[in-house]
Amino acid sequence: MTVEDQIREIVARITHVDKSIITRESTFKGMKADSLDVVQALVAVEEAFEIEIPDEEAQKFKNFGDFVSFVEKQVAQKEKV
Amino acid sequence: MSLEGKLALVTGGGRGIGKAIALKLASHGADVIVNFFRRRDAAQKTANEIEALGAKAEIIRANVGDPAKIDEMFDMIGNKFGRLDILISNAASGVGRPVMDLDIKAWEWTMNINARALLLCAQRAAKLMDGRGGKVVSISSLGSFLAWPTYAAVGVSKAALEALTRYLAIELAPQGICVNAVAASAVETEALKFYVKEGLVKDSYHVTPAGRMVIPEDVANVVAFLCSEEAFMIRGQTIIVDGGTSVGLLSLAGKEDNEHG
Repeated sequence: MTVEDQIREIVARITHVDKSIITRESTFKGMKADSLDVVQALVAVEEAFEIEIPDEEAQKFKNFGDFVSFVEKQVAQKEKV
Repeated sequence: MSLEGKLALVTGGGRGIGKAIALKLASHGADVIVNFFRRRDAAQKTANEIEALGAKAEIIRANVGDPAKIDEMFDMIGNKFGRLDILISNAASGVGRPVMDLDIKAWEWTMNINARALLLCAQRAAKLMDGRGGKVVSISSLGSFLAWPTYAAVGVSKAALEALTRYLAIELAPQGICVNAVAASAVETEALKFYVKEGLVKDSYHVTPAGRMVIPEDVANVVAFLCSEEAFMIRGQTIIVDGGTSVGLLSLAGKEDNEHG
């Protein structure tokens, strides 16, 4: 399973949205996620990939695609180390 | 007052009140394990400051809202140190909403981090203190008995934490473990910006008889005292650090009326 698919599963579980409709353009707002959903998604992804997502970075995510791209970079960086 | 040779765990010790407590304990000679959840950089900075004071420091990541992560944290402490002398249950979170907007998810998130974590951490910590005694201090808030806008979930969780502190104090007393809480009014930290609306901050300045808001060091001073042998006979209490806010509210309101009258 790709990083994107794993994140999609996590976000779908937390927001109770069908994962098949989560695209890279989807937004948390569009998924009717509240602030706690967002925090829980960030925490779940951090724990799944053993990475850290600073709040300042998370605030820059405009959509699901931005979230995935950030995590992919972090995971790739971690693998290099 | 000396905490020389003691090992302390401060949950949420990387920032704000937790950081001030960690540094205060270290300044009295304790080695400190700084628990953090999402800000490793802040925890590492706190650890560096602890070491600059001449004490030893460790950082450990754990979400205290997750029982499995609490177990992992205490497994690590048990394996590495085999003991713990001081537990400061400080990590807190919460969802700021009016009562009618609170859902089960928000309620459980807040209760699990603020109240259940004390239960689970104290259970594990007591085993590491067994036979040698120890200190447990939980960090509460005036919101446990006052009603602030959008603070219901946190306020209730803090009331539960204070009640649990009393039960722990009685049940752990035979093991030589002293358990108390410290409750502060609005403290000048980054977290305050998240939880408290601008109006409440202004009110806190206005109604504090001591003339200023509580700062993290005010809380840390009392916590350090409760961790000392001098506080041996204080058990199950919630010590209020609020510059007189909770007892002086009405008198100051009257003073304002007179000034404007």
